Amino acid sequence: MATATSITTPVASPAASPATPRAGRGSFGWVMGTLAGLGLLIAALPVVIILIMSFSGGTNLDFPPQSLSLRWYGAAFDVLFGDKSEGTMSAFSAMTSSLIVGLITMLASVSVCVPLSYAVVRSHGRWRHLAELLFTLPIVFPLVVLGVAYLLMTEALSRETGVDLGLLRLAIPHITLALPFVLRNCLSAMSGVGVDLEEAAMSLGASPLRAILHVVVPLMKPGIMAGLIFAFIISFNEFTVTFFMYTIDVRTLPIWMYSRTVSSLDPTTLAISTLIIALDVALIAWVDKLVAGKGSLF
Amino acid sequence: MSAAPKNLINERLLHMDKHLELRGVSKRFGTANVLSDVDLTIARGEFVCLLGPSGCGKTTLLRIISGFESASSGQLLLDGQEISHVAPHLRGFGMVFQSLALFPHMTVAENIAYGMKLKGVAAAQRASRVEELLHMVQLPAIADRPVSALSGGQRQRVAIARALAVPPKLFLLDEPLSALDAQLRDSMQIELRQLQQQFGVTTVVVTHDQHEAMMLSDRLVVLKGGRVQQCDTPSQVYRKPANAFVAEFLGAANLLPGMVRGPGVIEVLGSALALPTNLPAGSAVTLAVRSEDLRFEPTHADAPARPNSISGEIDFLRDLGAKSELILRCGDERLRCHGGDAQFQSARCGQRVNVLIDAERCSVFAA
Repeated sequence: MATATSITTPVASPAASPATPRAGRGSFGWVMGTLAGLGLLIAALPVVIILIMSFSGGTNLDFPPQSLSLRWYGAAFDVLFGDKSEGTMSAFSAMTSSLIVGLITMLASVSVCVPLSYAVVRSHGRWRHLAELLFTLPIVFPLVVLGVAYLLMTEALSRETGVDLGLLRLAIPHITLALPFVLRNCLSAMSGVGVDLEEAAMSLGASPLRAILHVVVPLMKPGIMAGLIFAFIISFNEFTVTFFMYTIDVRTLPIWMYSRTVSSLDPTTLAISTLIIALDVALIAWVDKLVAGKGSLF
Repeated sequence: MSAAPKNLINERLLHMDKHLELRGVSKRFGTANVLSDVDLTIARGEFVCLLGPSGCGKTTLLRIISGFESASSGQLLLDGQEISHVAPHLRGFGMVFQSLALFPHMTVAENIAYGMKLKGVAAAQRASRVEELLHMVQLPAIADRPVSALSGGQRQRVAIARALAVPPKLFLLDEPLSALDAQLRDSMQIELRQLQQQFGVTTVVVTHDQHEAMMLSDRLVVLKGGRVQQCDTPSQVYRKPANAFVAEFLGAANLLPGMVRGPGVIEVLGSALALPTNLPAGSAVTLAVRSEDLRFEPTHADAPARPNSISGEIDFLRDLGAKSELILRCGDERLRCHGGDAQFQSARCGQRVNVLIDAERCSVFAA
């Protein structure tokens, strides 16, 4: 080791040579560490600021807050669940819509992706790349354009046939956005299920469908659960496309928060945001536990 | 020589209780012929090994029998009933996969009971049958363990128990012991054979290991390039191989090129040998002699030639404990030779020898 060091770094000063074997990575490691820290800070800063601000005791959005309190959490609770004033009604119905749309997105995308990933994986990967590409298209598409496209289609549908999609006008674009993530989870879960297991079930008398239900689906379960949770998070947080699609009757919590923020910037929305972040973190921790198993971070 | 064993087999077929019959089974993948016109009849309770090098079609043949692959042409008959188009789950054949394919999300007991559960066997009965089977495969008291906690040998036994839980019409195994180490494989071979006899189930095993095949089976089916080369008892296949391929594949035979010089005379490496043959003079032949059937005696350069021998020289010698292995160089050919006799003890490298060819212990094939 020592000779190798002296050969590869002939210009190293005598003072540096008795350092640890990792000395060669020292300055490099420092740069990497700084960059990683900076990245983490940029990623976490908004969340941290919102977290702090939501506990503000003041009535404005000055940072840092002068005092700390839970008053905005009380206000958020009042807005969502309190006595039915007009604003309360719309916040509560927005939250209910968000939950329902999220549930529809979850169930629909998973019930598309489980059979699809089965078919794709069992076709020996021939269709795998095509399917992944097709389903990834919506996320490389500019979301604004996607919003316009869905708005045009929905309007045309209601004009021509008179069909009112209701909450589905939000759920359908959300499903599109959730599909690539759910599909990837299902595909990787499905790849781990050997065809020999299915054949073993069949050799023991299970029909092909039963073999899938008894063997494939249980083994895909972590992937399916992860897909469900991803779909819910994507739908619950979606804003851009939803912004084009919402109506007075059909709106989600992010839309309600946006309109509230535009009219009066008060920390109530920040308190609600913190609650949503908490929900998301809990769900992501669950996904991590399902996917990583014993190696989970949480 | 080629007609005699065939008649013998036909004679045997007349008297046997046909269980599974394959008639002209062929399989094509695109333009590749994986199996060509395979005829095979398996008697009730018989243990048959499909043996051959990788790519010979043995696994495809087993998958056609199990129903996971369909034949391009030909028929599959079970007890005289055509089953070519019966779905695999309705065939009622127990199968042990090369990967074993134990269900990782189930315990040992759940794995074994799965087939019974599908048949609607009551829970109490299932549990007692699982106990019984685990006892048979010598694994009591592991019923509640997850499959992932088992060793290789234990998994193997569980896979066998699972396939036999609902008594199968046919027991199919695809390279079942290939994942085990040599010692464990040896004891599992004996156990598998005993279990098969205990259950009396008609069994077809795919293997590429000729020792395993010889050890397990009542009958060997040697395959090459999708064609049956020979189908006979292990000792017959070993003693009277149908062609040079079978001779070489079943236990390290030496193959020597030769030429028929007259009735019963074959010239090999410059020596005229008296060997039975009915091929006309002038035809090229291959002489196959097993390494353990070669004998030699020391000689010197100006000694008179011995009848039925080839002169050569000891090229390489090593002691394997109970036996010795040596390589004899005769002209351009190198012959491998095994034995434990006194002549091996006194052999020295570079010694000139006469290699004795015993007509009873070698086979002649048209080249």
